[in-house]
Amino acid sequence: MIEERRILYEHLDVPDINTFDVFRQYDGYTRFEKAITEYQPDDIAKMVMDSGLKGRGGAGFSTGLKWSFVPRDIKPCYLCCNADESEPGTFSNRYVLEKNPHLLIEGILICCYAMGIETTYVYIRGEFTLGKQMLDAAIKEAYEQGYLGKDIRGTGLNIDIYSHPGAGAYICGEETGLIESLEGKRGQPRNKPPFPAVEGVFGKPTVVQNVETLCNLPFIVGNGVEWYTQMGPTYADTRSDPPTPDPNTGTKLYCISGDVNEPGVYELDLGLTCSELIEVAGGLRGEEVKAVIPGGSSAPILTHYELDTRLDFTSLTLAKSMLGSGGIIVMNETRNIVDCLLNIMKFYAHESCGQCTPCRWGTPWVRDIVQRIADGNGRKSTMTRPKFGVAENGRWGDTGETEDIYEDLDLLESVANNIANVDTMTWNTICVFGIAVSWPAVSYMRKFRPEFEAAIREGKLVTLPVAEATVPPEENYAYQQRFVPKEFADL
Amino acid sequence: MSDELIQIETPFAFNEENQREFNALIGRYPVKEAAMLPTLHLAQRQAGYITPAVMKYVAEQLEVSVMKVKDVVTFYPMFFEEPVGEYVIRICHTLPCALRDCKIVLDHLKAKLDTDVASETNLAKGTTADGKFTLMKVECLASCDVAPVIMVNDDLHKNLTPEKVDEIIDNL
Ligand SMILES: Cc1cc2nc3c(=O)[nH]c(=O)nc-3n(C[C@H](O)[C@H](O)[C@H](O)COP(=O)(O)O)c2cc1C
Ligand code: SF4
Ligand code: FES
Repeated sequence: MIEERRILYEHLDVPDINTFDVFRQYDGYTRFEKAITEYQPDDIAKMVMDSGLKGRGGAGFSTGLKWSFVPRDIKPCYLCCNADESEPGTFSNRYVLEKNPHLLIEGILICCYAMGIETTYVYIRGEFTLGKQMLDAAIKEAYEQGYLGKDIRGTGLNIDIYSHPGAGAYICGEETGLIESLEGKRGQPRNKPPFPAVEGVFGKPTVVQNVETLCNLPFIVGNGVEWYTQMGPTYADTRSDPPTPDPNTGTKLYCISGDVNEPGVYELDLGLTCSELIEVAGGLRGEEVKAVIPGGSSAPILTHYELDTRLDFTSLTLAKSMLGSGGIIVMNETRNIVDCLLNIMKFYAHESCGQCTPCRWGTPWVRDIVQRIADGNGRKSTMTRPKFGVAENGRWGDTGETEDIYEDLDLLESVANNIANVDTMTWNTICVFGIAVSWPAVSYMRKFRPEFEAAIREGKLVTLPVAEATVPPEENYAYQQRFVPKEFADL
Repeated sequence: MSDELIQIETPFAFNEENQREFNALIGRYPVKEAAMLPTLHLAQRQAGYITPAVMKYVAEQLEVSVMKVKDVVTFYPMFFEEPVGEYVIRICHTLPCALRDCKIVLDHLKAKLDTDVASETNLAKGTTADGKFTLMKVECLASCDVAPVIMVNDDLHKNLTPEKVDEIIDNL
């Protein structure tokens, strides 16, 4: 049985850890003090680079690398802490804000010191009223104790932190949407480049970092890079010759919800498998796993054949999905995948910011197609066509058989792929929200096609047994292309 | 919308406490406009909803056009342009909550309050006749581990069942 390794969440349930005094008893702010007394700012940036820390907010981009893009000679530079947490299935930042806000402040201080930043905005989603209250109280205490404000602890550092409430728009979690929103405008993402690291909020270089990412910093500084890199796998990136290490280091606050007995946040080393995580979360509620969403609702779905996939950035990317925000949603045999997709598409149709035509029109269109199928009005042609699949010679091609034409499924795939093409990974939109729409739409349909076909054929939602509902691996192109990475040490 | 076209019934201004909070807010940003969202939150808390008068006032305070304020107000679901009930009940209906039967809670709420669900363009549809409650569906509230959930004004209620909903509503 895999044990939780609580680092970020270690003291989460200590009574009154949200107050400065109690936080201080548990090494609070000592890591920041260590940073400013023992290290130069560049040393900290190097430590973060060496630690292999990847952003926990969604994109999984190397934090050290992101910092290296920030021009050091343009001031002021800003830090925006992304506490917008609105990806369905994700809820780990909330507990940090509500229960241990000083840890976030310490993480912010370390980042500010490393990057020479004086002003931080914590963009906190509008619905987190308690979280904002707790954070504001903690910020106030930190000012009183001399850890924020002018000339912090006699070092000449000036750092201010302000919390900034959102107002219920999912797209403000996207980093440039967040920046627009912070500037007091509609939260409509910007074209990139320029990336925020070069030109962000108020036209200045800006580091955007998720709450969880920042909370890792005190531990990297406090316990050292060597300690940190022992946690989680380091894979070999074989795209380069010789292969380079691809770290998936540290712990992850896995949020697991849906059909498990004990949903919640579990802090574990990166790299455990899907089935292991379900075990940790008290096991499945129900008889059989039908599907798992591994990284918030934007991530392509995994079938029961793929439960051995390791939940880390690299493994999931190579399995044609993503770790995203680490929100794992489990579905058991009673769930209807068409119905689940409908729910998710309603979400995206509601949350599109409306800037790009493919997304503004395409997303509701996809929703309407799924709605039509779910209502029993899905369209099917009376004609047939040649069936493509693994042909006799073992290659992908014409199998010599024929298949029915489900017009609405073709349409669904076509509309989704014209928002963002999941096969070529190109998008016709300003931000990757487009991918977040077409990824679930296409992956659910391709991997659980029998259930979609049944709904169209029968004129109503039909929940098939798991084995029948899932496209078997030999017919699943995405499954065939999946690649399991090797650990660097094993090479 | 030019200023002359807005009909202002009752003018709006911050009360003393909110004025103080607003003054503190303004100092946080290099440009005034950036204080837009927190200012609108303050104003909405005072006025109940964002009336044309509120927009005009906020525009003056932040030195931007009224149109710009309207632009922002219409973008964000948390700002209301119509009156809402004393208690705004937000029920989450995204996938993890749906997997935990939020539908039962929603149906129970609808029956208990004898109202439909508000839509963003028609808040009155989800507001009870006595103006006490407004029921609206929202997307994931980042509490999927304790689903199904509702928020009653600023308070989150977890692991709901029809019985728990009764208890919460009856105690308001
Ligand atoms: C549609 C969309 C929504 C996003 N929502 C969030 C969010 O709620 N919270 C978050 O931290 N990052 C979110 N992100 C990712 C951010 O764009 C950005 O990558 C992240 O905040 C960077 O911080 P990190 O490197 O620490 O992860 C979202 C991205 C997209 C495209
Ligand atoms: S892809 Fe969608 S959400 Fe992103 S900028 Fe375009 S319209 Fe807005
Ligand atoms: S889906 Fe309801 S709180 Fe996340």
